[in-house]
Amino acid sequence: MSDIKRYKTEPLKCWGKAKELRANYYKEYKEAKSKGGICWSGGAEAIDVIPYAFGDDVHSLTAEPYAAAIAFDPEFAHRCESALESKGWARDMCAYMRNYWGSVLIDEYAFGGPFPKPDFNLQSGFCCTHAKWFQVLSLWEDVPYFNIDIATIPFWKEEFPNRLQYIVDQMHESIEFIEKVTGRECDDERLIEGVYNDSRTTSLWAKITELNQNTPAPLDEKSMYSLYVFTTLDRARKEFVDFYEELYAETKDRVDRGIAALATERFRLMSDSQPPWAFLRVWRYLEQFGVVSTGSIYTIGLEGVWDIADDWSLTPREDLKSRGVELKTRDDALRAMADWHMRRPIYAMFYNADWKSKLMMQYAKQWNCDAAMLHLNRGCEGTSLGIMENRAALIKTGLPVLTYEGNMGDDRDFDEGRTIARIDTFMEGLGLKKLT
Amino acid sequence: MITAITAGIDLGAKTVKVVILKGKEVIGRGIATTGLDQKKSAEKAFDAALKEAKIDLKDLDRVVATGVGRTEAPNANSQITEVGADAKGAIFLNPAIRTVIDIGGEEGRGIKISPEGRAVDFAINEKCAAGAGAFTEAMARALERPLKEFAELALKSTKSIPMNAQCAVFAESEVVSLIHAKTPHEDISRAVHDSIADRIISMVRRVGIEKEVLLIGGVAHNVGFVNSLNIGLKLEVIVPEYPEFIGALGAALVAAEQQE
Amino acid sequence: MFTQFKDWYQNRHDYAKDWKARTGGKVMAYMCTYVPEEILYAADVLPVRVYGSHEASDLTEQHIFGMYCPFCRDCVAQVMEGRYDYADGVMIAQACLHMRQVYSSWEIHKPTEFMYYMPFPIAVESPHARPHLVAEYKTFIEAVEKWTGKKITIDDLDRGIEILNKNRELMRKVYELRLLDNPPLTGVECMHMTSSSQMVDKREHNQALEKLLKELPSRKTDRETGIRLMIVGSECDDIEFMDMVESLNSTFVADDHCTGSRAFWNSVEPEEDRLLAIAKRYLERPPCPTKDTTKNFVRFHHVMQMAEEAKVEGAVIIQQKFCDPHEIDIPLLRQRFEDKGIRTYFLELDVTVPIGQFKIRIEAFLEMLRADELPF
Repeated sequence: MSDIKRYKTEPLKCWGKAKELRANYYKEYKEAKSKGGICWSGGAEAIDVIPYAFGDDVHSLTAEPYAAAIAFDPEFAHRCESALESKGWARDMCAYMRNYWGSVLIDEYAFGGPFPKPDFNLQSGFCCTHAKWFQVLSLWEDVPYFNIDIATIPFWKEEFPNRLQYIVDQMHESIEFIEKVTGRECDDERLIEGVYNDSRTTSLWAKITELNQNTPAPLDEKSMYSLYVFTTLDRARKEFVDFYEELYAETKDRVDRGIAALATERFRLMSDSQPPWAFLRVWRYLEQFGVVSTGSIYTIGLEGVWDIADDWSLTPREDLKSRGVELKTRDDALRAMADWHMRRPIYAMFYNADWKSKLMMQYAKQWNCDAAMLHLNRGCEGTSLGIMENRAALIKTGLPVLTYEGNMGDDRDFDEGRTIARIDTFMEGLGLKKLT
Repeated sequence: MITAITAGIDLGAKTVKVVILKGKEVIGRGIATTGLDQKKSAEKAFDAALKEAKIDLKDLDRVVATGVGRTEAPNANSQITEVGADAKGAIFLNPAIRTVIDIGGEEGRGIKISPEGRAVDFAINEKCAAGAGAFTEAMARALERPLKEFAELALKSTKSIPMNAQCAVFAESEVVSLIHAKTPHEDISRAVHDSIADRIISMVRRVGIEKEVLLIGGVAHNVGFVNSLNIGLKLEVIVPEYPEFIGALGAALVAAEQQE
Repeated sequence: MFTQFKDWYQNRHDYAKDWKARTGGKVMAYMCTYVPEEILYAADVLPVRVYGSHEASDLTEQHIFGMYCPFCRDCVAQVMEGRYDYADGVMIAQACLHMRQVYSSWEIHKPTEFMYYMPFPIAVESPHARPHLVAEYKTFIEAVEKWTGKKITIDDLDRGIEILNKNRELMRKVYELRLLDNPPLTGVECMHMTSSSQMVDKREHNQALEKLLKELPSRKTDRETGIRLMIVGSECDDIEFMDMVESLNSTFVADDHCTGSRAFWNSVEPEEDRLLAIAKRYLERPPCPTKDTTKNFVRFHHVMQMAEEAKVEGAVIIQQKFCDPHEIDIPLLRQRFEDKGIRTYFLELDVTVPIGQFKIRIEAFLEMLRADELPF
């Protein structure tokens, strides 16, 4: 812990741009068809470079960020959730899926008007829920649907040619599917360009989050949740690449000049899982104690792509162009994209809780964390997978750990009062009093 | 040197407890049911404690509040969390305590404490495993027995019937089934206490179980639960006199430290 | 007639320990019915599926967070209680997320000499899944050979296929008898038969099945079949529950769950490429909901076909609490049943069940079904 002192702070220059880009994204999806374009929906992990290759008037709605947007608006979220529950669906299913399904059922788009029906759905099934999400919607929406199964051990752990080939084969097939559904042809040049962009976006995000290893942290996690979102919306888009170039330069500059996200930073935290979106004010509450949350494996590794060494240390992976990877054919592009995609740290817990523990321990070390705050996320069976083992592993290293129950997408599962009480207890145990 | 007189008040969900210290010696205790008017309940508890201590409110040098309603505590100079208060109280009673199990009406806590009395790790029951004390009371009512009698019944049982160890609501359903199946009441009582003990132990294992283990909170009076807990933990927990007052005692000790 | 199966089911750990002592062989504890048992038999390894015990345990919460299914929590408790300490190897063929935690915790706290995670494909209907799975089997075989110190030959694979196919064929024959107007066996007896097949040497199980099939067709029972029910859903070995239902003048004549028919239904069809033959069997079997992911809704077709063949009058849909894949299927599947005029009743299961409360519900459900039968 550092002594209490006040660092210089500055608001982020690119904050306004981030807001604008995000708003435009949701507007463009809504207006795509009316402008003669194509709109499609799928998970954030869908290989979105594939639809990208079909034209610059192709717009996506990625499901989880959209569902998170719904969660920000509890009143709208409740209407979505009730619509589903009244049809007999269980309320302990994935909260993102429930919000999204609900929005379709009540035919309301969170950004105004009726829910814009996609031309097709493209999914990457890596968890039980993702694999079936659009299966059900294919009934309700009567929309063509293709699932690329990517449920295989991440490539930073094991590399087997058949696993890469399996994904690549499905990607080829998905192109045929989209050609059939849209009547357009895949533009291989555009595909290659998109793959380079995707790798640049996700490499840049990793580099940006790496800068938070510095003290003071130039970014706080709450802000990072608004900044990482473009890696979940459309990774191949040039304007998102450009945004991250800008954000990286600005964050680096903040580090060089010692600009802090939190002026009173004296204690550094790591978190885990998606946050309870309706209660991001909890991050501001932590700041009252001079505590900054630097990020988590989720924040840096959901979309950020990293090299993971034998000792589990994390280094941002250089993007494909910088690595000198030449992409000449469609197969080259798909192969490179599949390989790149399967190097996300986030896939750890789907296969082995201990791998995730090791990544978290390494995160704590590299990002100089004094404690961890883990979200026992009832809304996501994936990100909470193995979390009790993660907790035990961190505690064993001597890192204080706080857990709190919540739900990323359904605020009914989050008890704000009790959570604040736990934070108070945790801070008291750490000897931290409120600064204000 | 004048010995400071301090007080700790624990505003729990069900009861308010007050402990008054002269130096480090307990000179008064008071308890009142937490009604709708928390302030009034707190004052009632204070009055009882002050009466026992034979002093007036103005004689108190410092008051620290704890418990879920601590922000509503009248007369309090500062606050401390329940976990912090429990840890302080526990180590004062017995410096060998390393694990504290605090079971109240609605919430159960497992706390790992350092030799200095600091809470180094804690676990609190999550949604699916809530309701220890409230559950036993409800089951005692279902069998139409006073709680004390219900608890003692468990000691007479020689059978261990498995019961839902995750959810008190589910477990309640199972008890109803057992009643209808004419299961002997002592076996039902034992099953109820075993299932709560299992849930609590499962939670406390998150912080690790290291001797000595102190059991506090109102449910510590329940001999059936203590028995089930000992069997499950494979050790004997230490149950202090006045187990429900340990949080308030801890708060009073903090007040004494702050006064120094 | 079913005593042997019941005995195996109830004394599963004693059986496995005894088998080890008798044969000197290795035991592979496994999670999920996508594990290629043929390969294990080819390697002379006994596959033993991990089941819960339906007992409360205080060891669970530190390993698996409360919002995961009771089955996986019960299994992890069994592992931590040491009940599976006799296992030489542990493997999982990936299906649902929840069960992966059992494997993880096992590896962290009590690793055995051989631990294996098989990334079984989810998109089982994709033609690309076949070469991928065959490659995974090759990798798996290499690992098993290294573990046992013995090469697996084509003959070994044929032996494995034969043992498994025979077991499936014989159990299907028993299932044919369930289609009769008055089946000579109850759902509970059938459950003992199918679940014990996942716990013992299938060669011994086959012998017991052959003996059973000699006597079963002519078995006279004094119980009435009553209402013909199907039990559908998650892993289920809730014998107490099924017994209660069948005591109310009803019989389970069909099932779709992975301790029942879903685990063994289809056989390996002979092919030159043995691994491809095995792969096809597992990819094309009645899917677990986690692997039914396309608009074809393969699982639903299979379930409805079984229901029709067995002339099912009602379906009891049981779900392990918090099970996401089943939760996604259930409302749609119930609709399919209702559309066919087959009423359904839904229940959530936990490690232990409130049998009295469930009895009230089932009685009401059966009463409703009987009322449906009345001509006026």
